[in-house]
Amino acid sequence: MFQSLSDPVDVLSACVSGQVQPLRFRWKGRVIRVRKVTGRWQRREGQARLQYFSIEDAARSSYELCYDPRGPKWILSRAWVEDSR
Amino acid sequence: MILLIDMDAFFASVEQAHHPQLRGVPVIVCGDPARRGVVTAASYEARPFGVRAGMPLGEARRLCPQAHYVEGNPDKYVALSVKLLDLYLTVSPDVEPFSVDEAFLQIARRGSRPPDERAALDEAVVVARRLQGEIERRFSLGASIGIGPSKLVAKMASGVQKPRGLTALDIPAFQRHFWPLDVQELWGVGPKLAARMRSLGITTVGELAHASADLLKGHFGIIGPQLREAASGHDETPLIPCHRTVEPKSMGHEVTLPEDSGSIPFLEGTLLRLSDQVARRLRSDRMAGRVVAVKLRNHRFETVLRQRALSEHTRESRRVFEVARTLWRENWDGGPLRLLGVTVSDLKSLDGGDQTELFAADHRSRKLTEALDRVRDRLGEASIVPAGSIAHLGGPASHVPFGTVPAASAPEDRPEKLRSKPTRRRP
Repeated sequence: MFQSLSDPVDVLSACVSGQVQPLRFRWKGRVIRVRKVTGRWQRREGQARLQYFSIEDAARSSYELCYDPRGPKWILSRAWVEDSR
Repeated sequence: MILLIDMDAFFASVEQAHHPQLRGVPVIVCGDPARRGVVTAASYEARPFGVRAGMPLGEARRLCPQAHYVEGNPDKYVALSVKLLDLYLTVSPDVEPFSVDEAFLQIARRGSRPPDERAALDEAVVVARRLQGEIERRFSLGASIGIGPSKLVAKMASGVQKPRGLTALDIPAFQRHFWPLDVQELWGVGPKLAARMRSLGITTVGELAHASADLLKGHFGIIGPQLREAASGHDETPLIPCHRTVEPKSMGHEVTLPEDSGSIPFLEGTLLRLSDQVARRLRSDRMAGRVVAVKLRNHRFETVLRQRALSEHTRESRRVFEVARTLWRENWDGGPLRLLGVTVSDLKSLDGGDQTELFAADHRSRKLTEALDRVRDRLGEASIVPAGSIAHLGGPASHVPFGTVPAASAPEDRPEKLRSKPTRRRP
């Protein structure tokens, strides 16, 4: 199931063809490498344009990262956690 | 020839495309899964369990407890919808978005002489297959496409095979396929209209196509003969390309309450929030409306829709709320409500027009509205909201900006406070 989060994270990113591309990030002491960006979209909050990324890591876990240009800062907004079922 | 591209279980499929854990398993997209509400979309894996869009979440959980319940994200779906439109525009300049997950596309005829209908259909099928492949390759999503000589035929053909279906029908094929089917299968015929038709002995699309035009006009007015034409597959509705501006006919918001409620402060606060959201959208899009409607749904799923026309157009939150509140009070039996909605229609654009008449004579009210809009433009919609919309006791304030707002000490004060200018409650 997805866990909604609002965790500030350090992200190593690149600018590819004019687009921000997260490459890896640190969360709970672990470095998570981005295997694939599966989706990207934006959301306006006042004058700010927040960029969201759905990503998949090597273990095929998925996360959603948000780049907020007002900081600038990166936020981990959702993470997939295995439930007990 | 016209194509209707309908994305298969769009919201659920987007979540599956973005998250590998959701692929191949039942996925149900909804509001906050921790609260109650309705199913927004169900993946094809969830449908064999009987789960359908619009179904209460509690019923879906009973039918399919093993599904993954995922909170929907409209920003994500709209962004993808725009990317899909960009793809369609590489095929034809004549694209009409029909909803967030459907679009009509007109394929221009090649050459100076129009080909016959069969050749045009075949040509459209080639384009449709290419589009399906591109949608799969670029977005990992499935689409069902209907092809026909009109929007009606294309739309109905798109539902013949799903998911990832492709159905091309000319008029004779349309009649062969749809005439034996229930009259409610015709696009535009809902359950109530179908029931009235059945009472006249019209049970299938074919029977409607052969019914007397006078009989239909007598019972259904001008729409009767139009439906008879539609039942034969004839439709002259033009495709309106997205590069041409089409003004919306109405703007509305509705919400399923976290639990059935008969609390006056809570229901008024919710109506205030909805009215404020609608009026804010009107102002953002430089529009004003003259008809305000409310939608009330009780715990038995009985729905009441009531509307009232104003003497002049408005886009003021307070004016919309006053009318919505009056309609609610006049039509509410005092029982617990499940859903509330506010809609403003009979819209007109303010571009190039005089705006001053659209505000109340109260100059201060106009200044206040403009100031509040400037704050929201800069800091976001949740940065400032009417106090009455969040200060109800124990209410479901989904977002309380700037920290905690204390609960109202006297619920019976709220109607009086709502009549005054919205202000933030002091701690």
